[in-house]
Amino acid sequence: MSNKTKVAIIAANGGLFDAYKVFNIASAAAASDAEVGIFFTFEGLNLIHKEAHKNLPLPEGKEHFQEGFQKANVPSIEELVEVATEMGVKMIACQMTMDVMSLDKDQFVEGIEVGGAATFIDYAKDANITLSF
Amino acid sequence: MDIKANEVLDAKGLACPMPIVKTKKAITNLEPGQVIEVQATDKGSTADIKAWAQNTGHHYLGTIEDGDVLKHYLRKATDEETKEERKHEDIVDLDELRKVIEGDEEVSILDVREPAEYAFGHIPGAVNIPLNELEERFEELNKDKGLYVICRTGSRSDFAAQKLANNGFKNVKNVVPGMSSWEGKTEKDN
Repeated sequence: MSNKTKVAIIAANGGLFDAYKVFNIASAAAASDAEVGIFFTFEGLNLIHKEAHKNLPLPEGKEHFQEGFQKANVPSIEELVEVATEMGVKMIACQMTMDVMSLDKDQFVEGIEVGGAATFIDYAKDANITLSF
Repeated sequence: MDIKANEVLDAKGLACPMPIVKTKKAITNLEPGQVIEVQATDKGSTADIKAWAQNTGHHYLGTIEDGDVLKHYLRKATDEETKEERKHEDIVDLDELRKVIEGDEEVSILDVREPAEYAFGHIPGAVNIPLNELEERFEELNKDKGLYVICRTGSRSDFAAQKLANNGFKNVKNVVPGMSSWEGKTEKDN
């Protein structure tokens, strides 16, 4: 379509529920031909951390949902990150948070970019949909 | 009902957003105008597929429930359909067609859409020959009777009307815009 919808997402939390919210919306949008960018900041960085994103915690007291995820055959976060990458979702890791937490770019999944708040603002300034999780 | 599709995608057992993601990938490999059947068990997939089609410009034909499986039918959009230019000069609009159907004159309606589109709703009595089979099936049609050719938006029927006129059909009319705006009676295949 000529007028591409642009979606800008901020991922600031690091739990399994947060990850699903972010990646479900992002991949559905990308599949619908939207341009999608996600800015990962603070605990949101867990969602794209090579090790952490494979084993994200459920909220305290909600551990029993683990079974529900399996029963409903919900894709793993690993799988959704792959799908998102494959469909061209732009993923930006927050430089400042990485510095605070002493993290390097190579500790994150392939294909991400690193940038600051201004990078996200520049991307999001003409977005049609802006979401924060 | 038995619907012909060029491609069948098995998305059974997959949860949101995977049916949409898989559909997106599968439709990329189709030729414009081809029909895909998406089999899903995700109950939200009917609403999702419809919304997805609206945003991507592909054409949602309909859904059939087969036990627990939802079979969604989509037709990949073509560039030609968005072009306004038409070459067959003898055109009628939908109101005229409706009057002709209600009148006494004996006419034939030829629906040149894909069988899957036809199956989800066509004018009662319309004969279905998809555009790409038309040349091999001229003999099924009467050259001397008035022939009203219809598709979804008037573009495939324009090609069909040109082909018919060039092959000795004397009274061929292209119905515009087509089934996308038809509000008269329709029937479905069972």
